[in-house]
Amino acid sequence: MAAKTLGSRIGSKAHYNSRRWLDNLATIALWGAAIAILLLLAFFIGYLVWVGASAVSWHFLTSPPSETSAGGGIGPEIFNSFYILFLTLAFILPIAVSAGIFMQEYARPGLFRNIVQFSAESLATVPSIVMGLFGLLVFVYIFHWKFSALGGALTLTILNLPALMRVTQEAMASVPDTYREASMGLGATKWQTIVRAVLPSAIPPLTTGLVLIAGRIFGETAALIYTAGVSVPTNNPYDVGLFHTAETLAVHLWYTHSESLVPDVDKVGNGSALVLLGMVLIFNVLARILGRFLSVRLTGKSQ
Amino acid sequence: MISAAPQLRAKLDVENLDIFYGGFQAIKKASMQVPEHRVTAFIGPSGCGKTTFLRALNRMHDLTPGARVEGKVLLDGVDIYDPAVDPVIMRQRIGMVFQRPNPFPKSIFENVVYGPKIHGEHNRARLMEICEKSLRNAALWDEAKDRLHRSALDLSGGQQQRLCIARVLAVEPDVVLMDEPASALDPIATSKIEDLIGELKQQYTVVIVTHSMQQAARISDVAAFFLLGELIEMGTTNQIFTKPRDQRTEDYITGRFG
Repeated sequence: MAAKTLGSRIGSKAHYNSRRWLDNLATIALWGAAIAILLLLAFFIGYLVWVGASAVSWHFLTSPPSETSAGGGIGPEIFNSFYILFLTLAFILPIAVSAGIFMQEYARPGLFRNIVQFSAESLATVPSIVMGLFGLLVFVYIFHWKFSALGGALTLTILNLPALMRVTQEAMASVPDTYREASMGLGATKWQTIVRAVLPSAIPPLTTGLVLIAGRIFGETAALIYTAGVSVPTNNPYDVGLFHTAETLAVHLWYTHSESLVPDVDKVGNGSALVLLGMVLIFNVLARILGRFLSVRLTGKSQ
Repeated sequence: MISAAPQLRAKLDVENLDIFYGGFQAIKKASMQVPEHRVTAFIGPSGCGKTTFLRALNRMHDLTPGARVEGKVLLDGVDIYDPAVDPVIMRQRIGMVFQRPNPFPKSIFENVVYGPKIHGEHNRARLMEICEKSLRNAALWDEAKDRLHRSALDLSGGQQQRLCIARVLAVEPDVVLMDEPASALDPIATSKIEDLIGELKQQYTVVIVTHSMQQAARISDVAAFFLLGELIEMGTTNQIFTKPRDQRTEDYITGRFG
């Protein structure tokens, strides 16, 4: 049967053509943008693997760095990246999540809440180098800690506090009020409602936010150069003490390229970049597995 | 004072209730007695204040910033707005079922025992007993017994609403408030909920907001008509539907507006 063409009773043919054309254009442009981003990312990762893979060896991953000669590794830097990340998370999670819960569930709209929100947003726009110099002043000069893992972690805590607070707020806000009403209606206290009805549903968005912030912590340099230092203890590179210099991998990447005298700068740099990328990826996957596990435990999804 | 059936004991006694949202007065000096072990229906056009009034009966307005309630709501003679009354305890006695089914994203079992757990019951066998009893009372046991540990979100809308009723029954309230509990459901699910409400009044005092006159006529013993924030008239459902005393009630019942 031959297809009949449907005509419209209102609107001109020319107008129809123009909006059809715009619709197709929008589809193509948005697909194009998505593909461009994917290609860029694929190229970037491919290039890093291409130039960095040859540098990565067991020796490279486990040896301490070298100051002047070739063949230095990044073992202590990998350790410090995770060490400072977990120290920072240990400080930041309780503070930022509590603050976010307070802002979303307890603070009534008004002057006080606006002041806290405004302060947090201002803090979030402070460049990390300024935070680094603040950390230098407070932790290194005033507290006399010298360059330390603790000073670095505390500086990163202040730097990322507003972002994680905001993430918590948004995560709590994404939970429908009907859960709160149902819980309160059954005679739950406010705290029981938050812990049992709201937080379990807020875990997936919270995990996403946490992963993004962990990525920022892994990649942070400016805030750490003046607080955690650009070297590792020579006698005990894997020191878990809080008060020793603790150069992270990202800082090492910057340091070798700008300050160090080793002849194999490019090799160390490319290898470090690839390993850093891999670490972010591994953390991302682990955090999501943990988030999923928690979410299933707390909300009992069956499928 | 509008009293429906003087021979029945009043479970709830509302005296001169005013409810404000900011500067707007949503309920004006409403007084009524809700009889024990009966189904009381609130009817009236959209925006007349019937849901606002219902939510005042277990202090749900406490959760709404800017809302203010004045007057008294006596449950067995005790004012639930008395500063000495903890709303957390009071809401155990007066449960609420909401317009849209709102099960938690947990298993059916965890939904039903949410209340008992919150009130300190952790004995697994005892919780299982409560779960079965509540689901049976909510006419959901046969459909749910083989999937207690599956997500409540897998249930149909009507089943979810009966689960929400079971969840309220599990804390053994005296009064069950229902805010248009069937408005989001299809006719078959609606008739199941209506049958259930008829059963519930044996054990509980039921107050239901409904926009459906037929529903009010089918299930309620007592009806209250609200208009523009005022309680216009309250009486036995039969009287309200056949011999309304107020002209405005008659206009609404006969479909002249609304």
